[in-house]
Amino acid sequence: MTTAFESTAEQYQRRVYSFARYLLSNPEEAEDVTQEVLLRLWRHRDGVEQERVGAWLLRVTRNACYDLLRRRRAAAAHGVEVAGGLEGEEAQSLASTEPDPESRMRDADFRRRLLEELGRLGEPYKSVVILREVQGLSHREIGEALGIPEVTVRVHLHRGRLKLREQLREERRP
Amino acid sequence: MNRKDDGLDCRQALLWIEPSLDGELPQGDEALLRRHLESCPACAAERALAGEIQRELRALPLPECPPEVLERVRRAGAQGALVVPFPARRLRMALAAAVLALTVGGGAAWIIEIERREERASSEAVARATAEARFALAYVGRVSRRTGLELRDDMRQRMSVPAESQ
Repeated sequence: MTTAFESTAEQYQRRVYSFARYLLSNPEEAEDVTQEVLLRLWRHRDGVEQERVGAWLLRVTRNACYDLLRRRRAAAAHGVEVAGGLEGEEAQSLASTEPDPESRMRDADFRRRLLEELGRLGEPYKSVVILREVQGLSHREIGEALGIPEVTVRVHLHRGRLKLREQLREERRP
Repeated sequence: MNRKDDGLDCRQALLWIEPSLDGELPQGDEALLRRHLESCPACAAERALAGEIQRELRALPLPECPPEVLERVRRAGAQGALVVPFPARRLRMALAAAVLALTVGGGAAWIIEIERREERASSEAVARATAEARFALAYVGRVSRRTGLELRDDMRQRMSVPAESQ
């Protein structure tokens, strides 16, 4: 028999995992974060309202990823080599998830560069851009998930898009 | 920023690009923007780039979480269910805790009482021993005094007999 918790975990696992994967650009770490977040949901299952569970999960995911990124930065400061940004193999992997016909090679290359720039985008812009453009959440849903007003979501989204455009525009220049 | 003949300057046009992409720009403004883009290559290039970025981001896959992660969570949840107390289990645990507390508390009280009894018994023994010792000392004293008196009388008697006999 499927419990209410299992059904909620099934429903949101993809959203949690993909958010973590785009934020961390590391599949293994994204798995760890997803597991941690779903276990937290299990522990707090009586305290989270069903209609807010999606926003709650995304906020916990974002915080867990932040913690991990902070540890990464601390490790990097001590000279430990760590993964960071949607670069190299991870960008290639996400960019080429769907089969690309010959005619779409240029698009695939653009997507790879876009992913690299998305990886370099600072917070909170990266979270907002991922939730809006990749996950397709509304401004209100993003605000609930990140605990910020809707107008702030719009500002962050505008700045995030602008930064992406600036970077990709620079790359296009000879 | 140039003001074009279409009545829209580039600054305003750039601000309208995103609402336009999100489908949030009113119809009249959308028409104004379209006319501006037709006559302004710079803004048109910006609109094209913004559109391409949005299209690519929206086409990005949402990777599936590997099933083993969910399975691990499910197993951990099932194990958690065994140790997380249900109400009836909580009641049983509370009763067991009460019995344990009574047992431990009663045992401790019993041991303390025994020790107290031992303490009382030893006090009585000391008192009895003290009384016996006093009695013994008094007896010895009495015996000694009597013995002393007897010795004195004996000595007097011995001393008086020769004197009388002389």
